[in-house]
Amino acid sequence: MTEENIENDIPPSTRKLNIDGDAEIHIDGLDLWYGTKQALYDVSLPIAKNCVTSLIGPSGCGKSTLLRTINRMNDLIPICRYEGKIVQGETEITAKDADLVGIRKNIGMVFQRPNPFPKSIYDNVAYGVKLHHKPSREQLDSIVEKSLKRAAIWSEVSDRLHDLGTSLSGGQQQRLCIARSIAIEPDVILMDEPCSALDPIATAAIEELILELKKDFTVVIVTHSMSQAARVSDYTGFMYLGRMVEFNKTEKIFSDPDQELTKRYITGRFG
Amino acid sequence: MKEIDKLPVRNRKGRELIEKVGSGSLALTSIIGLVFLLILVYQIAKPTIINGEEGEIVAATEFLPISDYILKWDHPSVDEDGNLISEPIILQLAWDDENGSHEHEIEITVISQRNVKENIQLNENGVDTNEVTVGKKTKFYIYSTLNTPVSVHQISGPTPAANETGYPLVNTFVIQSDVSTVFSNGITIEETVAIMSWCLLMVMIFVYVFPNEKMLQPIASISKNHQILRWISLVPFFFFILYEITVFRFFIVLNFFIGLRMLANLSEGIFRLSNQMKPLNDRTLLKHSIVNRDGLMLWARLFFFVSIFFIPLNVHIPFLTERYQDIFQPYSSGIRSAFYGTFWVMGIAMVMAIPVSIGAAIYLEEYAKPTRLTKLIQALITNLAGVPSIVFGLFGLAIFVREGGFGLGFGPSIFAAGLTMGVMAMPIIVLAAQEALRSVPRSIRESAYGIGCTRWQVTKDHVLPSAMPGMMTGTILAMSRIVGEAAPLLVVGAFGAVLFDPEPFAALTDGNINFTVIPIQIYAWTAEPGHEWHAMAAAASIALIAVMISMNSIAIILREYYRRRLNS
Repeated sequence: MTEENIENDIPPSTRKLNIDGDAEIHIDGLDLWYGTKQALYDVSLPIAKNCVTSLIGPSGCGKSTLLRTINRMNDLIPICRYEGKIVQGETEITAKDADLVGIRKNIGMVFQRPNPFPKSIYDNVAYGVKLHHKPSREQLDSIVEKSLKRAAIWSEVSDRLHDLGTSLSGGQQQRLCIARSIAIEPDVILMDEPCSALDPIATAAIEELILELKKDFTVVIVTHSMSQAARVSDYTGFMYLGRMVEFNKTEKIFSDPDQELTKRYITGRFG
Repeated sequence: MKEIDKLPVRNRKGRELIEKVGSGSLALTSIIGLVFLLILVYQIAKPTIINGEEGEIVAATEFLPISDYILKWDHPSVDEDGNLISEPIILQLAWDDENGSHEHEIEITVISQRNVKENIQLNENGVDTNEVTVGKKTKFYIYSTLNTPVSVHQISGPTPAANETGYPLVNTFVIQSDVSTVFSNGITIEETVAIMSWCLLMVMIFVYVFPNEKMLQPIASISKNHQILRWISLVPFFFFILYEITVFRFFIVLNFFIGLRMLANLSEGIFRLSNQMKPLNDRTLLKHSIVNRDGLMLWARLFFFVSIFFIPLNVHIPFLTERYQDIFQPYSSGIRSAFYGTFWVMGIAMVMAIPVSIGAAIYLEEYAKPTRLTKLIQALITNLAGVPSIVFGLFGLAIFVREGGFGLGFGPSIFAAGLTMGVMAMPIIVLAAQEALRSVPRSIRESAYGIGCTRWQVTKDHVLPSAMPGMMTGTILAMSRIVGEAAPLLVVGAFGAVLFDPEPFAALTDGNINFTVIPIQIYAWTAEPGHEWHAMAAAASIALIAVMISMNSIAIILREYYRRRLNS
């Protein structure tokens, strides 16, 4: 078989989706279109509880789209429509009358570029909490401190909590965004290439943080760096042109993938 | 159970209601704008709708020339305390009409205050008051709506200095008098207090910007009592209970309030610093320890600035405070009614245009789905921003001035003019606001949605603050355009010669609807043959520029504040 044949002969989305333990979120047969262009083909995926699931694949394969569908951020794009089912516990996320605010409170998100609000560091973290709850001043103070500590940024900002969040460095801003997400204690944190705009040291800090967060949260991470996926994740899904080509434990994917396509991608022969 | 779930939860129902009401009202504003715009398009498409036979615009001015009958009392006798010791002036007014003959006596008391004025109205039923109190150096008028001449006798009081040239056949005359007071050099207590309030603000702004130890030491000594200072800052408001509120006094009180509040917050900041054993002269530390420093600075600068612009109302500048007299007295004329006219037209236009157009911009940019209808609206707005102003004048004529058809029948009044100008400003503000909203980075919206904001919360908390400087700029541009615009008002019906202060809501209360604005006044004066009038027109255009600059400066201060809050 020639190389072109392998890349053009795309296998359908895999149904081999075994995980140990419970799944936090089930994605079942998701098709998604941007206008007339189909971006996801029949994607199914379980997301294991208190584990890190990473999504890898070449650019434009639909990783970010899949991630943004989990907390319905794709609803912001008017031409986007989808079929299929995503279920978290008993809530059906893809339902027409779903409570978007509740979903996004339960499923936090960290974006590719650090995007703190143009407010003070304190307000950045406190804003989400004040949005959903009515904490007293002391409770709020302790939540802010705890979240910043968990995001491993407290020691760097504790003496300037009232400076603007945008005045921090890129890596600090990204950790501030993580603190903002975990302040409202979601069940799941979605990370859309959180390290792509950061230098190696900041990346290492974030990766350490992800391993730490795993204890309390379920993490889904989209990444371009295969070494990062291998380092931080427990499960890995490989996507290609809108199909979930292969999903398995990370060690299995990186040592002995079932599909020829996956093998070629992780060995760097295309993508 | 997660720890955060132990906190009390915010009421979702209220939030959903706000979301619905918010988007509903935004849609409504958009629809209001759309209705105006569609009517305008229809109007342009069917010019036959404005035909002069159906409704004519009648100039409803009652031109009341000043009488040659002027009574003038110079320096009536006063004692050392400034009290009048002469008899009060009593005038007898008499006339005959179909109801028989009338005779009324009016007692005129001249007091030592300035700018106190009570006019007298004559109609078929008689005189509306029998006693009037008039301030020194103040002209007051007797207005008559009678068809018959009125005869005037002075019965008692000091003899007027002016010559009496028979009984007046016209129905206005002027009484001028002057009372020398204790503060004979022109400074009253009110003005002294105003200067004190400005000094307080100036000192506080200086201390906030350049804190130095010498000035901070005395404040540090009272800093333990910062709570008391906070209460003291509310004291100026009690003066409203004791005295009548005027615009000038209102600003004095606000100046004092802001100044004292700045003092209180400064001493509170110093108190905190001294508790932490930090040095006083550390500027950055001090800046951070003052609560709401930026906001206070903004208000202080704003009030300092605005109250200075209100000085002309209290200090006598005849050109600004005098009415248009008559054709033979160019240099004693002023732009008072034109100034007020501009003020009211602007005010009504802004009150109408800003909420509607900002609401429409938010709706179009944040809420509306990109359907064909919204694209059509977008195209309409873009084209309307370039429509010549005279077309808007015709639109105002058809919709607001005329009665019948689409017309609302406000007549050639300030209200109609303000609405017309508002419609003219709308597309400009909408476009600028949309541009500002579009330039808010997508990432801010995404991050807000990502932590579970509703659409309205995203708009209110994140998008609007970021877009505010741009919106301000658009509003300034629109304001500057309509402040200097004469063409639409020529069509709507502004006059060149208006003797009285305009009544903004006369169209709704059946009052005197005549009005003029500064550009129209300039136009009318340049059309006069006498070169004195040309000088007056030049002076009026300087006044117009001053009005524009002062408005723009306020907007610039606000814009800089928002911009700095976002970027610093």
